[in-house]
Amino acid sequence: MRRDPVVAPAVLLVWGAVALFVLYPLGRLLILTFWDGGPSLDAVRRLGGDWTHRVALVNSLVLAALVGIAGTALGLAAALLAVRANMSRWAVRALDAVILLPLISPPFTAAIALIFALGPRGLISYHVFGLTKVNIYGLWGTLLSETLTYFPIAYLTLKAVLANVDPNLEDSAFSLGARRWRVFRTITLPLATPGVANAFLLVSAASLADFATPLILGGTRFPVLPTQAFLQITGLYDTRGGAALCFLLLVPALAVFAGQRWVTERRGGSFVTITGKVGAATRVKSLSPAAVAGLGAVCGLVVVLVLVCYAVIFAASIVRGLGADNSLSLAHYAHVFSGGLRAVRDTLIVAVICMPVGGLFAVVLGFLVSRTQFPGRRALEFAAMLNYALPGTIVGIAYLVAFNDPPLALTGTAFILVVCYVFRYSLAGTRATSAVLAQIDPSIEEASASLGARRDTTFRRVVLPLVRPALLAGMTVLFIRAMTAISATIFLVSLQWSLVTVRILEGITNLELGQASAFSVLVIVLVYVAVVVASLVMRRLNAGSFGQAGTLLGG
Amino acid sequence: MRDWTLAACVAVLIMAGGYAGEAAAETLNVYTAWPESLSQPIFKAYTAKTGVQVNFIRLSTGELVARATAEKNNPRADVIWGAPGDGFAAAKEAGIIEPYRPPTWDKIPAELRDKDGYYTAVSRNTLVFMSNAKLLKEKGLKAPTSWNDLLDPAYKGQIQTADARTSGTALTRILSIYYAFGKDEDKAFDYQKKLHANVQVYTKSGGGCTIPAALGQAIVCIAHMPDAMEARKKGYDMAVTFPKEGVVAVIEGVALVKGAKNRELATKFIDWTFSRDMQDLLDKHDVYMLPTLPGASIDANVQALMKEAKLLPVDLEWVGKNRKRLVERWVNEVIKE
Repeated sequence: MRRDPVVAPAVLLVWGAVALFVLYPLGRLLILTFWDGGPSLDAVRRLGGDWTHRVALVNSLVLAALVGIAGTALGLAAALLAVRANMSRWAVRALDAVILLPLISPPFTAAIALIFALGPRGLISYHVFGLTKVNIYGLWGTLLSETLTYFPIAYLTLKAVLANVDPNLEDSAFSLGARRWRVFRTITLPLATPGVANAFLLVSAASLADFATPLILGGTRFPVLPTQAFLQITGLYDTRGGAALCFLLLVPALAVFAGQRWVTERRGGSFVTITGKVGAATRVKSLSPAAVAGLGAVCGLVVVLVLVCYAVIFAASIVRGLGADNSLSLAHYAHVFSGGLRAVRDTLIVAVICMPVGGLFAVVLGFLVSRTQFPGRRALEFAAMLNYALPGTIVGIAYLVAFNDPPLALTGTAFILVVCYVFRYSLAGTRATSAVLAQIDPSIEEASASLGARRDTTFRRVVLPLVRPALLAGMTVLFIRAMTAISATIFLVSLQWSLVTVRILEGITNLELGQASAFSVLVIVLVYVAVVVASLVMRRLNAGSFGQAGTLLGG
Repeated sequence: MRDWTLAACVAVLIMAGGYAGEAAAETLNVYTAWPESLSQPIFKAYTAKTGVQVNFIRLSTGELVARATAEKNNPRADVIWGAPGDGFAAAKEAGIIEPYRPPTWDKIPAELRDKDGYYTAVSRNTLVFMSNAKLLKEKGLKAPTSWNDLLDPAYKGQIQTADARTSGTALTRILSIYYAFGKDEDKAFDYQKKLHANVQVYTKSGGGCTIPAALGQAIVCIAHMPDAMEARKKGYDMAVTFPKEGVVAVIEGVALVKGAKNRELATKFIDWTFSRDMQDLLDKHDVYMLPTLPGASIDANVQALMKEAKLLPVDLEWVGKNRKRLVERWVNEVIKE
């Protein structure tokens, strides 16, 4: 493509932002860890005596791979059901709504809810099935909880991608006599490859960075790196050792990144399905009734499990003391609405600002790395992933080290929270954008260019509407994460800005399960309202552009 | 389109700036590891008395030390108030606190303060066994009253307690066992290996076993007194007992941050912390810890319970020197399978 006066400044702007808010803090932390008057491996040496660190590295890799596979598979199953099973609009909306729930799990509440559902005296394990010897602590519990928490990201990404696979392509295969499985295997799945690979990257990287779930469900028998790092920092007061462990996590993160590239580029990489030549709308027939039933059963099970977990949280919010005094009471909500509204307001302000800023950043970045050529493109792509793949604790400390002193004294402001979330959680939007762009024939943009439009006009009028589902998915994830993030936040909240998640954590540590649950329910409601509003706004902004099945999230 | 982004950023900056400048003139900034429910009433009492606003952030002990260390060159807090002694030992080593002796310092027993005056104990926090009374009854068990009771196979997979690598609670447990076994470290570790067989999970937060035990996912939770008392206060039927061999109580300290921006306000606040006025509040506001100033009032419930407890003396200096080694030994011997 020809050079354009807009691309270079855009690249510089994005590179500058990533350098300042990703590379600079991590660089400062790297120096803190490995520089002590001179290069020093003291931080690593101090870790030496602990066998759990070695086990943790292997465990982290295994867990990330398993969560990546399970989460992507589950996300794919749900996405197929949503866009290929001819479900009614309302059914798809309901599916969307339930699947979003686990992603909105505020800190610790999901893992705790899971203990109540599947623990030794769990609602499902004990009260329904009468099992008494269940052990959910360890690999399986952690795997289950992380898969449930992160498969919605895969679902959002894959849905945006699958919706763009024109059913007419499948139709052509059918008319050539192919059977359903063959069509799925040779047409649908290969065309969805960018989505699958990006979903895997997002889910497994999220697992690599997650310390909250294994913190509660891992126990000592299943140590993983993020929790080890967390313990090293907070239990043994050894920030340098903890940081060294976190940097170790960059190795698997790089591997996942490289794997994702390899999968999407191996076949010369044409996944184009959107060419501007749209055929007549056709009824989707790529799933047999049996397949729909199978996918429905899998998703149904997940939906039931999710609903049970959240029913526990809801129940805890409307009784005086779950398990002790089960009489109905609105006391916890009274507490939220009397003392907690400031935290809700502050969190909303931060999250609402994050949503458009991060959404645009994600789309611009996704566009630049997949549609333009510039030196350091791969490096930028990987750099933008760093904060996402590192545990929040370490990102928070890096930000604190980098931005506490003048001239960059940003701590104590809301700005640092927004920046932290944008550069940590826009990755879902970026990857979804890349995945969707891989499906769009560049000739559509070329057509716009040959009609005399500048690159920015083309971007605004052509690209943006086409990647709308990806943008919406990205903004949804970002908003949810901004409402519920805790690990980095705890280092960045200030005396002026208090956040809901901090209050929820407070509730959990303080045995105020009811208050924590009431806050969680409020967060969930707010997220749904925000997602619906964002979806409506996007639809209005893009009225007239071609629409997919109208769903809660599809735009 | 990038104009929007820019505009949004500018808007955020302006707003953030506006909020940052909002703080009142006489404001003290505090980091605390105590839950808000325990610390806030005390801070409010101080504000009511002096008009000084107390802004505070609640963090876990480790996060608190990590945060204050990262902010060392430009400290944001003036006082660290209410965190376990081992956190202060780490803070002293990291050079983020400075010595300060309040006027009543000499009245505080010597074993409850740092010998150089870097930190002083505001209260003591006792280790307890809390058991789910309903489950005990169901299984025909009596609430444990000896460390050896916990080795009963009936408790297999029914005990939760903190991971040794988390601060505070787990250290109190390890020290309790060490002193209960007559400072014989090998015996103490042999015991912990046996106990390990009955442990369902080691939680990563000190009081993390409270909710599971309260809701019947485990029978026994070994944690601190306030966790147990809070659970009871919420209406959960929990038996609170002590091992007859004894337990220890760890100190909860207070210290002045090095280079504090509001040094004078900070020292006045610390002075007040060690006055009768404040020490009596620990009882009044149900903190469920033991005050350190002799003569201060003690919660009636706690006092009744403490009659059954055998508190063993702790050598702070020995703990400071050996903490890391004890934790490493726990990791390498107790939980290694």
